[in-house]
Amino acid sequence: MAVRILLVDDHPIVRQGLRTLLEGRPGWEVVGEASDGLEALDKVDNLQPDVVVLDVTMPRMNGLEACRLIQQKQKTSGPEVLFVTQHDSPQMMHEALHAGARGYVVKSNAARDLLEAVEAVSQHRVFTALARSPDASC
Amino acid sequence: MKLRILLADDHEIVRRGLCALLQKHEGWEVCGEASDGREAVEMAKQMKPDVAIVDIGMPYLNGLDTTRQLLQHDPHFKVIVLTITDSDQVIREALDAGARGFVLKSDAARDLVSAVEALQSKRMFFTPRVNDLVLAGFLDRGHAISRNEPPNLPTLTVREREVTQLLAEGKSSKEVASLLNLSTKTVETHRSNIMRKLSLHSIRDLVVYAIKNNIIQIQMPPQLHHTTESTVA
Repeated sequence: MAVRILLVDDHPIVRQGLRTLLEGRPGWEVVGEASDGLEALDKVDNLQPDVVVLDVTMPRMNGLEACRLIQQKQKTSGPEVLFVTQHDSPQMMHEALHAGARGYVVKSNAARDLLEAVEAVSQHRVFTALARSPDASC
Repeated sequence: MKLRILLADDHEIVRRGLCALLQKHEGWEVCGEASDGREAVEMAKQMKPDVAIVDIGMPYLNGLDTTRQLLQHDPHFKVIVLTITDSDQVIREALDAGARGFVLKSDAARDLVSAVEALQSKRMFFTPRVNDLVLAGFLDRGHAISRNEPPNLPTLTVREREVTQLLAEGKSSKEVASLLNLSTKTVETHRSNIMRKLSLHSIRDLVVYAIKNNIIQIQMPPQLHHTTESTVA
């Protein structure tokens, strides 16, 4: 299944790592990158991705705020949001899901969980995995 | 002959990004990847890379102590530290530890190739802020760079710093003993010595000390808007 992905992280080196991982999957395409929440909102409007891979802590506008605004603006046919973050915290995960995200993955385990998570959220299924939890859950 | 580079970062996704960046450069190869400082020290001893790129915030052994141990093993070792912050204290500690390159993670895509090229040419590479601080220190007879000197840091031995980090990460004396191949009794002796030297009275104090002195790093989350009892329980 073709999936169009927008990467949002303030560290280009992290975006590069995410890109190499995601582009290994046939049919998946990274259609754009953004370095903060405000830029992400613009790119969501312009590129219409299926999935937004979003960091939490970013300058100008953090990921939680960006996620809320993406959900407000694109109520019916908007992209699914998957957080990839350093914050290995149930409280933060809950906040992310409450902001409208469909998935939550911890950066330290992104290489393990990311492909499965993108696949799940692109099919509108919830995917969450904290670093401390032995198994991811869909 | 290719320049051999060892990468040490606890995030595989970051290592992937760094690999992709460095391997575009003809004549360079990433000869190994370590996910913590202890692994990096062992790999460096075996592989003898030309350059090590070391993240500061790693579990088990942070990047600053990794740099110290690498240089203790071989004083000519070339280390570039990667950091999320260029505070005065982190800069000072990186220079003290013997790093020859200092690159902000946020700027790694722009600066890292230049940093490796500099070390390859037997030069150093620092961010403009490091250069400013060093120059200010020179002009101010060293005072500018030492003004925020962390208390007591040099009084800990290499082993005590390792034990401090592991205890601050929440490991028990038994777990520390197992990781460092020591007896639990020896770890408890180290622990008592650390607490006495630093005038600390609890593990909480030790954690605060470790954070303040960059032995462990934490990233503060943005302010949360929505919490429930079930999520914070």
